[in-house]
Amino acid sequence: MASVIGASEAASRPSAVGFIKPERSEQFEEALKALENYKKKDPSKVVVRFKAVGNAPIMKQNFYKITSSNRFQAVIQFLRKELGWQAGEPLFTYINLSFSPAPDDTVANLFKACGTDGHLIVNYSTTQAWG
Amino acid sequence: MSAYGTTRQPGGGAPPKDKITDYHTALFRRLAWEGTVPVEIRVDPKELPANSDRGLECYYLQAPRVTYLPLLMAEIRRFLMDVVFDEAAASSLKEEDWWFETEEGAIAKWHWPLGLIYDNHTISMSVKGPPPTPNATATPLRLILHLASPPTEKLMLSPSQEACKQAFMGQLKEADFIRWGSTKRVTGLRKLEQDGIWEGIKDHNFDDYWKVASKVTPSAAASNALSPGSSAHTRPPSNDAPSTFDRDGAYSVRSVPVRIYLPDGPILQEVVPPLLDDGHPNTLYHFLSTHLSMLFPPRPPAPPPSRAKPNPQPPAVPQLAYAMIQGVIAPQEAEMAWLGVCMAGADGWLSICVGVNRG
Repeated sequence: MASVIGASEAASRPSAVGFIKPERSEQFEEALKALENYKKKDPSKVVVRFKAVGNAPIMKQNFYKITSSNRFQAVIQFLRKELGWQAGEPLFTYINLSFSPAPDDTVANLFKACGTDGHLIVNYSTTQAWG
Repeated sequence: MSAYGTTRQPGGGAPPKDKITDYHTALFRRLAWEGTVPVEIRVDPKELPANSDRGLECYYLQAPRVTYLPLLMAEIRRFLMDVVFDEAAASSLKEEDWWFETEEGAIAKWHWPLGLIYDNHTISMSVKGPPPTPNATATPLRLILHLASPPTEKLMLSPSQEACKQAFMGQLKEADFIRWGSTKRVTGLRKLEQDGIWEGIKDHNFDDYWKVASKVTPSAAASNALSPGSSAHTRPPSNDAPSTFDRDGAYSVRSVPVRIYLPDGPILQEVVPPLLDDGHPNTLYHFLSTHLSMLFPPRPPAPPPSRAKPNPQPPAVPQLAYAMIQGVIAPQEAEMAWLGVCMAGADGWLSICVGVNRG
């Protein structure tokens, strides 16, 4: 890191070139290492509770543990499989009876923002309820 | 000006401070709205229909940050049909199969605002590409247009304007939920207003958009949150003086709707309270040093004052990364609540794109 006194200040002045270069590429390496760390997929699971709305069939099993890093789109596909519904059949999903998340929202992020009582509530219906 | 700046009309005799706040709010919202990005669209040369006018298959546009690719399709298609494609060869093309990707192979999503696609590309290049030249003018985002075989799973949405509108409304609701724990402000809008806000995006009309958005976006008035030594939630509203504690204001939300984009992922979301436990406003510095401390290390405290140095500064920390909002590198002292209502995208979300500093 900043082992040379004043190097950090010198590094921020565009006119100072010379000795700061090695520190900059070291800095870049450190940033890359940090990014690699943040890219690591969270292996933890989130409890998702599926709740039927309207005429939608109630499943035998409603609670599932889903890997945090999964996108919501994967949850929809999983639900379709559990219900035994084909791709063409209408299936609408909502969080907390409130909104339909972006398909690339992750389960981890949705749980962080909207989790209740330790689980994420996903409502499903055959008709668009909160469009 | 104040009609766009706040959700509540100040009563007669509002103090001058509110007018200044309204001015700044409206100014930044206008700047964010008017922001544009240069885009260069090139048809994949392998997919050009027979007898196309090669050499002309590139379309340049300067488009608003708040628009979406499905909304640009019509003009792109018009250009290609009029200028580039041979009518007979192009008759079999299906617009619903068209899709875009960056030169680096990243698929351009239909439901991402164009400004986000652009900034996300910028930060991706901060890691991959050559170091940017200082003071360079903005480089166009080069997109490759494919005419067939769309990767539907990765695109996630159909390319239609209707699907895009639904996604946009969904994001507005999600933002509402993040702020207040309910979506009643958005669902409380009349159908005409819901359609109107989308029309504002389509026509890129600031007034039309904010006429509706001001009903669902918290006011930016900081009221007493900023005065040093006082805190909005310890001073009870008075019956005599006009209350300056804004229950619907940006500093009263449970959490600011924020997403952080790292180069080539992941996309992070955290709870962002507008005020910290000590009553001070949550800043970009605090937020980033808490959740991305490896890229934004917390500043150690200043050494104790001595006779030689009566006003010591905290030691500098290396600037490994930067936070880009609406294409601008944001200052660390910016308040999260303010950013959330003045620099957010049209869908209500504050997108922070984190890029890496080069040597």
